[in-house]
Amino acid sequence: MAGAANESEFERARRVAEERRLVESAAQGSSGAFERLYRLHAGKVYGLCLRMTGHRETAEDCTQEAFVQAWRNLARFEARSSFGTWLHRIAVNAVLAQGRRRGERVGAEASIEDEIGETLADGTVGDTGAGMDVEAAIAGLPAGARHVLVLAGVYGYSHEETAEMLGVAVGTCKAQLHRARQLLGQRLAAAEGSR
Amino acid sequence: MTHPESDRRLDDVLQSMRGEIEPGRDLWPGIESRLEHRPLRPRWPAWAWQAAAAVALVAVSSLVTAAFVRQWSVPVVQAPAARPRVVPASYASGPALNADYEAARRQLAADLEQRLATLPPSARQKLEANLAEMRRAAEEINAALARQPGDALLEELLMNTYQDELGVLASVKQLTGTGVGPAPARQEKIRL
Repeated sequence: MAGAANESEFERARRVAEERRLVESAAQGSSGAFERLYRLHAGKVYGLCLRMTGHRETAEDCTQEAFVQAWRNLARFEARSSFGTWLHRIAVNAVLAQGRRRGERVGAEASIEDEIGETLADGTVGDTGAGMDVEAAIAGLPAGARHVLVLAGVYGYSHEETAEMLGVAVGTCKAQLHRARQLLGQRLAAAEGSR
Repeated sequence: MTHPESDRRLDDVLQSMRGEIEPGRDLWPGIESRLEHRPLRPRWPAWAWQAAAAVALVAVSSLVTAAFVRQWSVPVVQAPAARPRVVPASYASGPALNADYEAARRQLAADLEQRLATLPPSARQKLEANLAEMRRAAEEINAALARQPGDALLEELLMNTYQDELGVLASVKQLTGTGVGPAPARQEKIRL
C-alpha cells in the first residue's frame, strides 16, 4: 500500500510539474500547450458548467468561453492556486455572465439527465439511479439556489468562497443552500414516492 | 427527507457528484478559432517586482531620513577619511534619457560626496545604503532589458527607479545645501 501511495504521490507531482510547464508554454503563446491543458481540464470545467446551468448547449458555450478567457488572462495567472482551481473560477464567471445575458433562463428544454446518464457510466453517482435523479432535481432548481448548491454542496467550496464567486452576501449563500437542500429533498422524496 | 439521516444521505450523494463529465462533442475547434494567435507578453519575473518594491522602500526610507535630519537640525560634521565611495545608479545600457534629466542628475551626483560629508554618520550611512540598493536594482533591470529589449513594463520600472534616485539625490542636496531649489517634482515624468 505504501508503495502504491508513493507512486500516486509521484504521479501527482509529475502531473503538477507537467501542468506547470504547459501553463508556462501557453502563457508564451503556444496554442498546442493550451490545447493539452484543455484536454486535461475539459471534463472538469464542462461538468461544473453543466451542473450550474442545467443545460447542455449552454454548458458547452460556457466551457468554450471559460477557456478563451483563460487564454487571454494566462499572463496574470500567478500559480498561487492550482491551474484547475483558477480555471474553475473563470468557468463560474462564464456561467454567471451567460446567465445574465440569458436573463437566467433555466435549462428545462434540454434536460441534463440523458447527458449525465451517458457520461457517468462509471457509477460515480451510484448504481441505483439515485444520482441521475439528483442531477435532474438539481437542474430543475431555481438558478440562484442551484449555483449555491453546486458550488458549496457538490464541489465543497466554503460559504465565503461561494459567496465571493457568486457576488452575494455570505448570509444569502447560506439561505440559498438551505433552500436548495429543502427543495432537493422534497423533489427526491416525491420521486421516491412515485416509484 | 428532513431527518439527519436523509441529510447525510443527501450530502453523500452531492459529494459523489464531483466527477468529470466529458462534453458530448469536441469543443476545442471552437475555442481555437477564438484564440488570438499572437505571442503573449512574457511574464514579469518575480525578482522584478521585488526590485520595484525595494526601490520604493528605499525611496521612502530616504525621504524619512531626510525629514528626520531636517527636523533635528544636525550640525555639520566632518566626514571620516576612508569612506566607501557612493556611486549613483549606472544606466549605461538603459534607454536614452532626455537631456534635462541627465543634466539635473549629473549636477546632483557631482556634489553628492561633498554633501554627504556634512551629514551625521547614521543618516549618511542610510542614504549610502539606499543609493547602493537603487544601483543594484537598476543594474538588474538593465540586465533584464538587455534580454527583453523594448519590454514596456521593465522600461517603466527603470523610469521609476530613475525618478526615485533623482528624488533621493535632490533630498540630500536640499537638506545639506543652502539656497537650493526644490526637489524635482515626482509628477514630472521622465521622457525617453
